[in-house]
Amino acid sequence: MPKRKIARGMLATAGIAMALAGCTGCAQNETDDKVEVELVSYKPEAVAAFDQIAERFNATHEDIHLTIDSPNEAMTILKTRFIREDYPDIVGIGGDVNYSNFLDADLFMDISDLEETGMVKQSYLDMDKELEFVPKEGIYALPYAANAAGILYNKDLFDEHGWEIPETWDEFIALCDTISAAGVQPIYLGYKDTWTCLAPWNALAVGLTESDTCNQVNMGTTTFTETYRETAEKIRVLLDYAELNPYAYGYNDACTAFARGQSAMYPIGSYAIPQIKSVNPDMNIDSFTFPANEKEADNVLNSGIDLQFCVMKDCKNKEAVYEVLRFLYEDETIQIYLDHQGGLTCKEGDFEIPAELQGMRTYIENDRMADYQDHHYPSEMSVDAMIQTYLLDDSENAVDTFLARFDKEWKRYNRDLIRKVQQYQQKEGDVQ
Amino acid sequence: MKMKRKGKKAKKTNWILTIILMLGTVTVFFPLYMAIIIAFKQPSEMTNDVAGALAFPAKWSFDNFRQAMEVTDFWHSLGNSILITVITIVLAILIHSIAGYVIARGMAKKKSFRFAYLYIVSGMFVPFSILMMPLVKQTAQMGLGNRAGVILLYLVFYMPMNVLLYAGYMKNIPVALEEAADIDGASSWKTFWKIIFPMLMPMHATVAILTALGTWNDVMTPLVIMSGTGQNTLPLAQLNFQTQFGTNYNLAFASYILALIPILIFYIICQKQILDGVANGAVKG
Amino acid sequence: MKKKMTNRDKTFLAVLIPVLILFFAFNTLPMIKGVIYSFTNYRGYGSYDYVGFRNYLDLFTDARVGKSYLFTFKYALAGTILVNVFSLIMALGLNSRIRFKSALRGIYFVPNILGGLVIGYIFSFIFTYILPVVGNTFHIGFLQNSILASEKNAWIGVLIVGVWQAVAMNTIIYISGLQTVPKEVYEASMLDGASKWKEFWKVTFPLVMPFVTINLVLSTKNFLMVFDQIMSLTKGGPAQSTESISYLIYKNGMDGGQFGFQSANAVIFFLVIVAISVFQMTVMNKKEEQL
Repeated sequence: MPKRKIARGMLATAGIAMALAGCTGCAQNETDDKVEVELVSYKPEAVAAFDQIAERFNATHEDIHLTIDSPNEAMTILKTRFIREDYPDIVGIGGDVNYSNFLDADLFMDISDLEETGMVKQSYLDMDKELEFVPKEGIYALPYAANAAGILYNKDLFDEHGWEIPETWDEFIALCDTISAAGVQPIYLGYKDTWTCLAPWNALAVGLTESDTCNQVNMGTTTFTETYRETAEKIRVLLDYAELNPYAYGYNDACTAFARGQSAMYPIGSYAIPQIKSVNPDMNIDSFTFPANEKEADNVLNSGIDLQFCVMKDCKNKEAVYEVLRFLYEDETIQIYLDHQGGLTCKEGDFEIPAELQGMRTYIENDRMADYQDHHYPSEMSVDAMIQTYLLDDSENAVDTFLARFDKEWKRYNRDLIRKVQQYQQKEGDVQ
Repeated sequence: MKMKRKGKKAKKTNWILTIILMLGTVTVFFPLYMAIIIAFKQPSEMTNDVAGALAFPAKWSFDNFRQAMEVTDFWHSLGNSILITVITIVLAILIHSIAGYVIARGMAKKKSFRFAYLYIVSGMFVPFSILMMPLVKQTAQMGLGNRAGVILLYLVFYMPMNVLLYAGYMKNIPVALEEAADIDGASSWKTFWKIIFPMLMPMHATVAILTALGTWNDVMTPLVIMSGTGQNTLPLAQLNFQTQFGTNYNLAFASYILALIPILIFYIICQKQILDGVANGAVKG
Repeated sequence: MKKKMTNRDKTFLAVLIPVLILFFAFNTLPMIKGVIYSFTNYRGYGSYDYVGFRNYLDLFTDARVGKSYLFTFKYALAGTILVNVFSLIMALGLNSRIRFKSALRGIYFVPNILGGLVIGYIFSFIFTYILPVVGNTFHIGFLQNSILASEKNAWIGVLIVGVWQAVAMNTIIYISGLQTVPKEVYEASMLDGASKWKEFWKVTFPLVMPFVTINLVLSTKNFLMVFDQIMSLTKGGPAQSTESISYLIYKNGMDGGQFGFQSANAVIFFLVIVAISVFQMTVMNKKEEQL
């Protein structure tokens, strides 16, 4: 009958271990006089850059200790921490619909009294303004790094065949025909991962529509059926130049295929460059702005805020937090980040544009940029899947079906928001 | 040793079936083969053509494994995973078996136990998503936003299935056994631990495997409950390999294969328990 | 006698009550909170308003939700049948007099341990690159294109992987069920000269019937709640044809800002699964009694 002893032993062990497990928080927090500042960033891929930055900061500051955490699944973690009301001091998030939602939930502090906000490129400040559901006084984010999307191309292939960079939609189509004629696949698409449908969609839409389209729809001054038709028609044309059945291949497949020279171009953003280079480290990649229009002058580069810092409303040490933000915005610190992560900075000044984005240089320098339109789409509406559905739909009136659905679903998913916006308008109207 | 003992029976071996079953393992070995060669390759060896994907890596080096262990802080994460899984299994076997026993026996006589059975079992069908946010708040308020909280939640999450299994198994154990013991003057408590608990051995093994697998591979619960405590489980640490814009499959697969080994060993041990349990428990009983 | 029974009853209650309290605190209580949220437009954080039955009314008019129910039921029905047939066969095979029993049991168990990323990557590769080659070589029409890219067939791809993974677990339960069948029973029936087929239906099957019930209920539930395979293989695509209910609840409730609405979806989904399972158990219990 040792069975019972075993059972008891098991129980005892479990009890002890349980007690041990419960004691996670026991031996932390050796609080000296330093003010602790916690920054949670949503970019786990930038962990090396942030480690270096935090180390430099702590070496030069005696009274403040900075911790930068870049967890995986950071958005889930942030949301659960918000539920627990366990707020960090600063969050590093993207300039997307999450920012809009957090701001709308009144989680962030107005930082317009920080001088660094005056050093941000205007177009990025405007992007953040447009992300506000209901216009708010003040500045709630410090845009830090940006990415750009358009067409990445295989420079060696282009040089070898003497292909020229297109500046208008017609030139682009002609180029695709030329590339096909040379026996090369013009573009590769990874539409199995639905979000990649948004890459060409956004790049086309910024050139073909107003940047505040979504806000206009919310205010009831236009519809997507009116504004998105050309975008919808043009994104379909790309299919003629892509591999057969692009819905079979994912983002990763497309990156690999492009890296292996299986296609000359790849309509995606600068964020894909590290993945492509991991397959083919020696590849010569360059890029150009998506030539969505008939006139070069109408084209706009699709660039969005990849990382920005927001201060949580109930942070206790505003001065210390500002000191951290000032340090983060020093040119040297930004350069550390860019060296690790590539991409562009949101700060005015002389920063080197990475080799892969040289083709977009004039647009960047002249500030001819507009945000990803999907930053305004509620994620639960799954516009990416809607675009994929539309592209799979072979019927004659596919465009009409798609646009009608877009308008209908938009109203449904944004119902509370639209009411809010219209209430705001009414209030504004009453004041005037 | 085992072979010798079974020596006499071996002549009855059903070879045709053995061969069919061995051929069937291709369905397992082929994907496993792919996982293993990917774990040994470098990112630059990844291709989209079939021949390339199935080819051996350029060189067999354990570099990916070493690197994967570094990135996931392997020993520490492994320790946490083992700690959580083992405690969960032990407690699940102890608590769920007696709960299953009590409910199964009580159910035969009382409506209230029948109700308790249905109440607990129906908990199996609650989608985790609806519980998640309230649980995050609740565990944080109770100071359970840590490994202990995760274990406690597992005990609750796996209770419905385990109670169902134990209660179902009780149907195979005649009530007469306990009644005899009761007449001998043993308390019900003693009767359970002395007579019933050992007889449940095959079910303990099954419950152990089911629970272990669920907890070992689970990402969601530790992610939302104990994020920010500085403790990682293996699946949490493995998230390091994956971001939206890039995945290092080679390191990830190396890490997955490392994580697969402990649970596979555990399964093989449990499998023996199923056999031994029957020999010692059911047959003798 | 009577006094002894009350003692037994006391012990039983002393076990049952704490268990019920634990279960209530960490399952029912949060569930009740979830039900409350289902009457709000809560996003998961920040402020929210009560919206009455709007979420529930919306559920019945939402085409996407309706489509996800259709997909999930189709998938669960096919999956449950396939898994139970395969795993019972596997269990019989692995429980019979074969060589390398332990090794074979170990190998067939591996699919269950592999994580989502591995499964997703490898099977996507097989469906996307390897099967089309097979299809082209042998002129099998529906294989010539990746089945995961086909609106009509993608669910079959998900099903194959789901069954591949689930068979292992159900096999174990069937094996432990077969272990409860005393050897003497077989020996007796062998003397009678019963054929294998007859032996199975007349002797084995009735004895493992409780395990058939458990497996049916468990696998129906698991297939209805399918999530991992969707996440790793199709993410609901192509053209939203493989969005399961659990996937939708998770994606839009947690990732998106529809926590209130998806809580309502989860409440209805919960009721539906409970109804199905109670039905299954009642029917199976009757069958068990008949046998």
